[in-house]
Amino acid sequence: MSDTLIEVNDLKIHFFTDEGVVRAVDGVDLTIERGKTLCLVGESGCGKSVACRAFLQIVHSIGKIVSGEIIYHRRVDNNFEETIDIAQLNPKGRQIREIRGKEISMIFQEPMTSLSPMYTVGNQIMENILLHTNLSKEEARQLCVQLLDQVGIPQPHRLVDEYPFRLSGGMRQRAMIAMALSCNPTLLIADEPTTALDVTTQANILDLMRNIQKEYQMALLFITHDLGVVAEIADTVAVMYLGKIVESGDVDTIFNNPKHPYTQALLRSIPKISRTREKLDTIQGMVPNPYRRPGGCPFHPRCTQAMPECSTMVPSVTRFSDGHTTRCLLYENITTKQFAELS
Amino acid sequence: MAQVPLVTDPSIEFADPFDKAEHTQAEVASQWKLMWWKFKRHKMAVVGGIVVLMFYLVALFAEFVAPVHFTSYNETYVYAPPQEIHLLQNGRFSPYVFGYRFERDPASFKKTWFIDESVIIPVGFFVSGEPYKLWGFIPGNWHLFGSKNPEEPFYLLGADKSGRDVFSRIVYSSRISLTVGLAGVTISLLLGILIGGISGLVGGAVDNAIQRLIEILISVPTLPLWLALAAVVPLDWTPVKVYFMITVILSLIGWTGLARVVRSKFLALREEDFILAAILDGVPRSRLIFRHMIPSFLSHIIASVTLAIPGMILGETALSFLGLGLREPVVSWGVMLRETQKVTVLATYPWLLWPAAAVIIVVLALNFLGDGLRDAADPYQ
Amino acid sequence: MTNLVQSQSSTLTGVNNDNLMLDVKNLQLYFPITQGVFARVQGYTKAADDVSFFIRQGETVGLVGESGCGKTTVGRCIVRAYEPTGGEIIYHRADGTTVDLAKLQGDELKPYRRDIRLIFQDPYFSLNPRMTVFEIVSEVLKVNKLATPAEMKDRVVALLQRVGLRPEYMQRYPHAFSGGERQRISIARSLITSPRMVVCDEAVSALDVSIRAQILNLLEELQADFNLTYLFISHDLSVIHHICDRIVVMYVGKVVEIADATELFVNPRHPYTEALLSAVPITNPRDRQAVGRIRLEGEIADPSNPPTGCYFHPRCKYAQERCKTETPPLRNLENEHFVACHFSEELELTNVQLR
Repeated sequence: MSDTLIEVNDLKIHFFTDEGVVRAVDGVDLTIERGKTLCLVGESGCGKSVACRAFLQIVHSIGKIVSGEIIYHRRVDNNFEETIDIAQLNPKGRQIREIRGKEISMIFQEPMTSLSPMYTVGNQIMENILLHTNLSKEEARQLCVQLLDQVGIPQPHRLVDEYPFRLSGGMRQRAMIAMALSCNPTLLIADEPTTALDVTTQANILDLMRNIQKEYQMALLFITHDLGVVAEIADTVAVMYLGKIVESGDVDTIFNNPKHPYTQALLRSIPKISRTREKLDTIQGMVPNPYRRPGGCPFHPRCTQAMPECSTMVPSVTRFSDGHTTRCLLYENITTKQFAELS
Repeated sequence: MAQVPLVTDPSIEFADPFDKAEHTQAEVASQWKLMWWKFKRHKMAVVGGIVVLMFYLVALFAEFVAPVHFTSYNETYVYAPPQEIHLLQNGRFSPYVFGYRFERDPASFKKTWFIDESVIIPVGFFVSGEPYKLWGFIPGNWHLFGSKNPEEPFYLLGADKSGRDVFSRIVYSSRISLTVGLAGVTISLLLGILIGGISGLVGGAVDNAIQRLIEILISVPTLPLWLALAAVVPLDWTPVKVYFMITVILSLIGWTGLARVVRSKFLALREEDFILAAILDGVPRSRLIFRHMIPSFLSHIIASVTLAIPGMILGETALSFLGLGLREPVVSWGVMLRETQKVTVLATYPWLLWPAAAVIIVVLALNFLGDGLRDAADPYQ
Repeated sequence: MTNLVQSQSSTLTGVNNDNLMLDVKNLQLYFPITQGVFARVQGYTKAADDVSFFIRQGETVGLVGESGCGKTTVGRCIVRAYEPTGGEIIYHRADGTTVDLAKLQGDELKPYRRDIRLIFQDPYFSLNPRMTVFEIVSEVLKVNKLATPAEMKDRVVALLQRVGLRPEYMQRYPHAFSGGERQRISIARSLITSPRMVVCDEAVSALDVSIRAQILNLLEELQADFNLTYLFISHDLSVIHHICDRIVVMYVGKVVEIADATELFVNPRHPYTEALLSAVPITNPRDRQAVGRIRLEGEIADPSNPPTGCYFHPRCKYAQERCKTETPPLRNLENEHFVACHFSEELELTNVQLR
C-alpha cells in the first residue's frame, strides 16, 4: 500500500493543428501523494491545464496523448489496490466515466462556464450524486444542502434552489467545490480556481480548500500561475515551462532554494511588499510561439545563465535530496565537464 | 504602406530579442486574408461555393447550355422518358443515346414509351442546333451538348406534357428562380443595415420607436398579404413584373431580422474597449462607424445574405407551386413543379420532379457556403 | 498656482496644494436603473459616490479595491469616457491655470483627452483587430491632424522602439502579438500624444508574472523619461505597493482611506484596508503561520442598494451601533492620511511587516 495516488511518466500530449504540431505537453513526470497538495505552476501556454485535463481524459479534440502513462492507484478497499493507466482508457468509455466526477473531480477558473444556467445549483449537484451513488432523490438533496453548508454558502436551504447567475463569483466557485466534493473524490483538480476572484474572496476560497482537503483526506492538484497562491497552499510544487517540468520539490525548497534559472527568475519577478522599492527583476523576452519551439533546453533563449550547449542538448533530470529535481545542464556535472574538455 | 527603413538602435532592448524581424504570412495578414484561409479549410463550403457559382453561370449562359429553347415542343414525344447516355460505342468514345418507340394502348389511346435499342442517336459536345440569341441579341446556334442531328429526339431528363425538354426548361428556369428575389433581398439588406444602424447608434426614444415598429411588422402574416397583393396588381402586368413587385413590397417588411442583428452588433460594439479607445482618441463619428464598427461585422452581413438567398429561392418555388407566384408561360422551378401536383402524373412521369432536385442542390450549396462564410467571418478566435 | 477658494470647498482638508495635477472633488456617477417598456427610472447604482482625492504632478497614485468598488468608473470619469453626475475634476494645466473636466462637453474635451490618456486592462479587446499597429498608434494624430504623415511615421517608429517593439512590426495586425506585446502597443498609443498623465486601468492584471514585471519596469522608465503622472488602478496590492507613491482605497463607490504607500501598509487606519492587506497572498511559504490574518465575511455591498451608515459595517468586525446609522466622513488624521472611519484613532489594526 503506497501513499502514491497518481504517477505520471513521460506524458506527451500533442496538438495537431493546421499550422503544425504543437507539443503542448512534452514529457511530463509527476507524482501526486494521497492527501497532499501539488501545485503545478507556469505561465499561460506552458501546458499545465492540458496535462491535467488528461487525468480525466478531457483533452481538447485536436490534442492526442501520444505517449506516456498516468498510473492511477485506485484503492478498492482498505487492503487492496488496483492500478489503472488512465492514458490508455477510452475517453468515452465506462471506466473513465466511473472515475471522472467521482474519484477525480475538477473545478475551473470560471465557474459560470461549467455550471449550466438552465438548472438550479441543487439540481446540478444532485445529478452528480445520483449518477455515481445509490442514494435516493431525497437523500441526495439532503447531502447537497449539507455540502453547500460545508463550503460556506449561507442559507443553503434557500440557495439550493437558486440558479447560478444569481450567485456572486465567489459563491459560484463554492458551489462548484460542493459539486466536486459530492462523491468524496480522492483527487480534486483545481484549474486556476481563484484567478477570476478578488483577493479577499481568493483568501476565503483558499482557506476553504485547505479545510476541505483536511476533512476529506483527498489529494489536491492545484494549477496556477500565481506564486502567491502556491506559497499559501502547496505541499509540493512542480514548475512547468513549454510542456516540461523544469523543477519540482517541496514548497519550502522551491521558494527558498530554487535551482532552475527559470524558477529563480520567476520568484524574483514578483513584486514583494517591502520597505525598499527596487526595479523588478524580469525574465527577458517572452514565451516563444508554440510553433517555433527552441531546440535544446526550451528555456535557454531567455536564460541568463545559458551556455552554448543549452541550445542543442535537452537536459535530463537531476535529483537532489528529498525529491527535489530539476532539468538543467548547470547541474548535470558529468555532461558539462565533458563539454568543457571538448571545447 | 512602404517598407520602414531599419533604424534599430543597437542599445534598444526589445521585448522579444530572439524573434526575427521578418514576418510570417499570418502576422501581416489582413482580416480578409485570414477569412479566406479559414474559409478554404471548410471543404463543404468550398464545394458549396463552386456549385453556387456553376448554377449562376448556367443561368447566365442558359441559351448555350440548354440543348433547345424552353418553348420548343414536339407533340410526338409527349411524356417521353429520360434517355440514358452511353459513352462507348464499339470500344471507342462516342456517346450516343437510344431512340424511342411507342405502343398505343388500344383502349385508352395512351402512349407507352419504350427505349428502342436498334436506333442509335449520336450526341456530343459543342454541337450546332437550334439557333438562339444569347441575352436576346447575340445570335448563335452552338450548344454545350446535344444530339448531333437536331432532328433526332434527345431528352436527357425526359419530356413534359407538350413534349418539351425538361432539362432545357430547368436550365432556363434557373434564370428566373435564382434572380427574381435578389432585388428583394438587396432592399431588405439595405433597409436592415440602415434602420438597425440608426436604432443601435442613436438609441433612446428613436431606438424604442424602431423596436416597436419591428415588433408590429414581424406580426404581419406574409401569405395573406401576398394573396392580397397578387389580387390588387394591374391586370396588364406580366407575371414576372407582378412577382418582382411583390418581392419588393415584401422586402419592405422583411428587413426586420437583419435590423435586429445590426442593432445588437452596434450595441455590443459600443461597449468594446477598442471603440472607447477610438472615441478617446477623438475619432469622429463617421469614421468611428465606417472604419471601426462596420468592418467588424461586415463579414457577418455577407454570411447572412448568403443564408437569405435560399429563402428567396424556396419562396419562389413554394408560391409558384401554389399558383400565387409565377405562371405559365414564364418558366421557373416552381412553375415546372406545378405539373406534379397530381399524384397520378407524379407516379407515371416521375422525371417531372427533376426541378426539385435543382432546388435542393442549390439551396444546400448556398447553406454550406453561408455556414462556411459565417465560420470564417471571425478569424480572430 | 493654487487657488484658495477651491481648497476651501474641497472635502479634503489640510492638503498641501503645491504641484497639484488633478483634484477630484465629490465626484459622483449614478447609473439609472430602468424598468419596463418606457424605461422608468427605479433607482440609481452609485458607481462613484462623493469620491475625493488628488494627484500631484509626477507621482503615481494607486486606486485599489475589490471588483465593483467603482475604481474603474472613477478612472473613466477622469478621461471623460463617462459623464459624471456631479462633482468636479479640477485639472491643473501645465501653465498653472485650472479647468473643471467634469463640466466640459464634446469638442471642449479634445485637448484634455490628449493630455490624459487611458491604458486598458485587456490588450486583447482594446486594440481594433482590423487595423495595423501603425494605424492604431497613429490614429489619434491622424484624426486630430496633429502631424503630417511623415512626422507620424517617425513618431510611431521612435515610440515603438521606446516601448520595446521592433518598428518593422507596425504593419502587423494585433492578432500576431502576445499579450505583453499588445500591452506595449497600448502604451505606445497612449503616449503618442505626449500626455502629462496616464490612467492605467488594471494595465498589468491580465499578464503573466514575468511579462508583468517587464511592463511595470517599462511604465516606471517611461514615467521618468516623459515626466508622466500615473493613476494606477488595480486590485493587486503587491503591484500597487510596488509602483505607487500614494494609495486611494475604495469600497462600494466611496473612498475609505488615502495615504502614502508605505504608510498605508505599515499603519492602515481603516478596517477594510486591514482586511485587504491581510488577504494579499504571502510570498514565502514560511509566512504561512503568520498570526492575525483577517478574513472578510459576506459579500461586497450592492451599490444600487448600499447599507445604511458606513457601507462597510456589515462586514466589519469592529462595527458598533454608530456605524449603522452615521456615514463616516473622509477626514485628515495627520499628514494627508485620510480615512473614513469613526473609530480610526481607537482601533489597533494589523499592519504588514515590511522587510
